[in-house]
Amino acid sequence: MTTSFKLPIKKGSIITGKWKNGQYRVERLLGEGANGSVYLVSKGWQSYALKMGASSIDLQSEINALKALSGDDSSRRSYLMDVDDWITPQGKEVPFYTMRYVKGLNMANYIAQHGADWFPLLGLNLLRSLGELHRERWIFGDLKLENIIVGEYGEVDLIDFGGATPFGKGVKQFTEIYDRGYWNEGSRSADAAYDLFSFGVLCLQVFAPRKLAQLSKELLPQTRSAEQLIELAREIPQLAPYRKWLEQAFDGGFSHGKEAASAWRAITHQRKPTVKNTATPRWLKVMIAISIVSLCITASLYALDYTGLLR
Amino acid sequence: MKQMLIITDGCSNVGMSPIVAAAHAKSEGITVNVVGVVDQGDLGEYGASEIHEIARAGGGLSRLVETKELAQTVQMMTRKTVVQTIQLAVQRELQAVLGNDSIEALPPEKRGEVVQVMDELTESSSLQVALLIDASASMKPKLASVEESIHDLMLSLQAREGKSEIAVFHFPGSKQEDCVLDLDWTTHLKGVHSIFPKLHMSGTTPTGPAMMKVIEYFVQHNDSKRRSEMEGMLGDDVV
Repeated sequence: MTTSFKLPIKKGSIITGKWKNGQYRVERLLGEGANGSVYLVSKGWQSYALKMGASSIDLQSEINALKALSGDDSSRRSYLMDVDDWITPQGKEVPFYTMRYVKGLNMANYIAQHGADWFPLLGLNLLRSLGELHRERWIFGDLKLENIIVGEYGEVDLIDFGGATPFGKGVKQFTEIYDRGYWNEGSRSADAAYDLFSFGVLCLQVFAPRKLAQLSKELLPQTRSAEQLIELAREIPQLAPYRKWLEQAFDGGFSHGKEAASAWRAITHQRKPTVKNTATPRWLKVMIAISIVSLCITASLYALDYTGLLR
Repeated sequence: MKQMLIITDGCSNVGMSPIVAAAHAKSEGITVNVVGVVDQGDLGEYGASEIHEIARAGGGLSRLVETKELAQTVQMMTRKTVVQTIQLAVQRELQAVLGNDSIEALPPEKRGEVVQVMDELTESSSLQVALLIDASASMKPKLASVEESIHDLMLSLQAREGKSEIAVFHFPGSKQEDCVLDLDWTTHLKGVHSIFPKLHMSGTTPTGPAMMKVIEYFVQHNDSKRRSEMEGMLGDDVV
């Protein structure tokens, strides 16, 4: 069974399209997904991400989804650049497509580096992207940390459209822990609420990946439920303002990404400035304690000295 | 579209070769998939190669997985097999119409159209999956996971547009039968709490004979369906 797809392609190799003769120079491997590998390539001065797949059917299906989503005012219009086949030096024909190269970090790493202050904005940007798909009556399907790239100032890009599915059809590709069906909270038919459920799990995955993994491991299949997820969300301080929102998402309460985005936005902006219990760093506490203690010692020495007891 | 999915953890040791049985299935239009459950590495090299051979003869897929991966594997294999079956059929059509032997020979734009049709067929074709579960003694601790994966498969199948049915068998039976029907063709598992109530685990693994029974069941089911359809048509004519 061909689930993984590996071709040893060296840096500097030239990939030439069989039909349109586009030439791309391979820079490095960016990642490997369910349906293929993604390389960073260059054409002239321009960089692109090039995805090649083992199965031309699966890859084409993904291309079809991207095309269907390239509406007039969609931000994905410029996403898909070129579609072609490459004949490898070994004579094997490999289908590929190129897309805009999105430089950035995965969401968890971004928050680890830039701080949780960014989280509300990333959430909002992501929900807006989902809303755009829902407007075209498609869902992203396989929403997970690995499929999101965050740019320098919190711009969010969805990558890997292998799970993209039109409304009403069976979700094409999903990851268990993000799947509504896995948590006994509904069907695997594509609707906007499916993506929004996964978004809820994603929030937990950002702040409590270990606890979430533990939860899914410990629970019996029939006892998995949104309750457990909501409970876990309660333990995460960064998610405190969004508790109600998350409950609604886990409950299938939003029928469109746009609706979910505006609810999220309302929370983000009406949020009372968090009471300044911004914890004093530990080192500062220690330093203060030390200075108070030394002050007391100096003062008492001085007092003793003054009263002449030390003489 | 007809599929048989075997979940086992060992070699067959009684009766006809399961590889011959798989070839029979293929000739009846039933694709055979096999999942080997390998928790303590109790399958052995011979068992692993038998599993691959069965799938090859049956035109399907084979995988060796741990119990915890079972649900995802069963669901994914079933889907992949539907896609492959459609792909084979479309390729045959292409060959007849264009003389092309593969979708890859089409330019990317045309390929897009063909794949769209294939995706639609994948969603809308009707599908029957017969699950054949090895219930020999060593499988006992894994049966809860097997049940879970059957429920999970049903969930994925229910999201399809086309009619999807499953039936569940286990082998061997307690009274020397080669295989026992646990669940007749159904499109849902509502009200089904336990698919395998009180199994008497036995030591033998008659995989081949059990597969033959399942093939027989498929054939009978389709014959009777055809007959009732015929009767329905005749009845309409009379009225």
